[in-house]
Amino acid sequence: MINLAQKDISHSLGKFLVTAMGVGLLLGIVIVMIGIYRGMIVESEILINDINADLWIVQESTLGPFAEASRIHEDLKDSVRVIDGIKNAEALTFQNIQLPSPLKPTRVVAVGFDPHGTFNPINPERIVEGRDLQRSHYEIVISDNVGFSLGDSILLGRDNYRVVGITHGSVSSGGDPLVYISLKDAQELQFLYTNNRIRNDRDRGIKNNDAHMVNAIVARIHEGYSVDNIAKELRRFKHKSVFTQAQQHDILSKNLIEKSSKQIGMFAVILIIVSTIIISLIIYTMTLEKMKEIAIMKLIGIPNSMIIKMVVQETLLLGLLAFSFGAIFANLSYDKFPKKVVLEIPDSIALFVVILIASVLASFIGVKKVVSADPTTAIGG
Amino acid sequence: MSKQSIRVDNLVKRFTKGEEVVSIVENASFKIDKGELVALIAPSGAGKTTLLMMIGCVEKPTSGVIYLGDEKVYDDKWLTKQTRKIRREKIGFIFQAHYLIPFLTVLENIILVPQTNGVSPEESERFAMELLEYFDIADKAHSMPSELSGGQNQRVAIARALANRPQIILADEPTAALDSQRSVSVVQMLKKIALEQDVAIVMVTHDEAMLPLCDRILKIEDKKIISSKIEGNTQETLV
Repeated sequence: MINLAQKDISHSLGKFLVTAMGVGLLLGIVIVMIGIYRGMIVESEILINDINADLWIVQESTLGPFAEASRIHEDLKDSVRVIDGIKNAEALTFQNIQLPSPLKPTRVVAVGFDPHGTFNPINPERIVEGRDLQRSHYEIVISDNVGFSLGDSILLGRDNYRVVGITHGSVSSGGDPLVYISLKDAQELQFLYTNNRIRNDRDRGIKNNDAHMVNAIVARIHEGYSVDNIAKELRRFKHKSVFTQAQQHDILSKNLIEKSSKQIGMFAVILIIVSTIIISLIIYTMTLEKMKEIAIMKLIGIPNSMIIKMVVQETLLLGLLAFSFGAIFANLSYDKFPKKVVLEIPDSIALFVVILIASVLASFIGVKKVVSADPTTAIGG
Repeated sequence: MSKQSIRVDNLVKRFTKGEEVVSIVENASFKIDKGELVALIAPSGAGKTTLLMMIGCVEKPTSGVIYLGDEKVYDDKWLTKQTRKIRREKIGFIFQAHYLIPFLTVLENIILVPQTNGVSPEESERFAMELLEYFDIADKAHSMPSELSGGQNQRVAIARALANRPQIILADEPTAALDSQRSVSVVQMLKKIALEQDVAIVMVTHDEAMLPLCDRILKIEDKKIISSKIEGNTQETLV
């Protein structure tokens, strides 16, 4: 039996392929957008997964340190350490700084931690060159995409820092590269004012220039203790906001990236709808172009089912080809986007199913046209 | 076995145009035998094509009876839901232009209907090649219609009309797009086919030069059908 769809497509193969490529680019953007969404989730969790704390203790009534600003005293870690069930606790700082990068000034998030303490936020697997921080001052571990090399010197605040390690894949929840400095350096950068400012403040009668502040205290608990109970105790007696690792994940996903992800999700849905409309219009136009032939086929007795099969097969093939072009485009270009793009096979399968359903829906418009075609229009008179 | 190929009794076709009822054919009755080539003539707009389409089970008559062969297909209503199947199995169509499917090759255009009827690919292709050889265009079997001349395409269209071994061929001005020499050749070919294949052919034509080549003329005049035999010049008004 002659396959009408195959014959029709072969007859205008170039046009069909170019059309599929056009729709494919659109679907490629959808795949990339889903990948950006996935990337945002992955990036948002890198830092808290690397820190791997059971508890996050931050300023009372805040969602710190990522969703809201949080400032607490560093010595809180000492009183947390003595609470029953706490295994260890350390202070951390997080601050945005602009690095005078050799490529271009780059916004990074600097994580301050005690290199001699019990928490190390640098995942050793991410170090691709050099080493971890070993001194309490003037060393920096930096992400590879910032443009510095081992041994480079970077001026931050009043001091020069030497690059002692390079990491790969270290990003903040907002997607900025991470750099790591010692807690003391970080406190000076964040909380120590310039001499002029200190003099000015003294003249104003302000004397409280406390640089021993941090943004969060992180803690791990001993096995057998309830994280929730200790969190509850800390809230009650220390007057601080305390979040478990799971709650911190929720804050990041719901507060920080929820709107962005919804936005991306909406764009993706709109693009899928646009793609469906475009496929429908293409199929409608392709069907309109063949109305004379369809009328002739109906006149000489070709059953509707055979003509409808042609339209549906062409639509499905268009959807399939467009998806393939889109997937190729996304896979070739995903690493060139400034934001992390994570392409996952289940997402592609889901999109493929959606496109197949959309193609079937799109073919209805062509099928309707076929069914309503009047065979007498094939002839004059 | 009956020689009757087409029989039409009291066929009426009216349609409404706004509030006005327009009559195209009134109580038309005629019979066409197998092997006959009949010319259907009438002034423009008199309903030649409509009559042809009613016989071809495309256009629904208002009332009357239509027989194709010995099978009654219409008696004030279609007696089968599968009018398209009747067209596919019993009727061959030839049009003013060739109206070949442009995305199918010459051979595929010819085998499309027989294969839809369930004829095997081998048998349908064998018969299609026979037809193409008969029309002297076998070398064009795998060409696209766009690669053929107008005359060659019209021969392919006739081959397509014959491919399902029809009992009836309905030809709507098949020579309209051809020069006089080629028109004569096509009508002579139709006459030969009618005799050799025992097929009834109804041919709508405006070209009076073609009439002597036909066995009979059906003329629509004042919504009635007048049948004239070419030999003997007898004229009878059937209704």
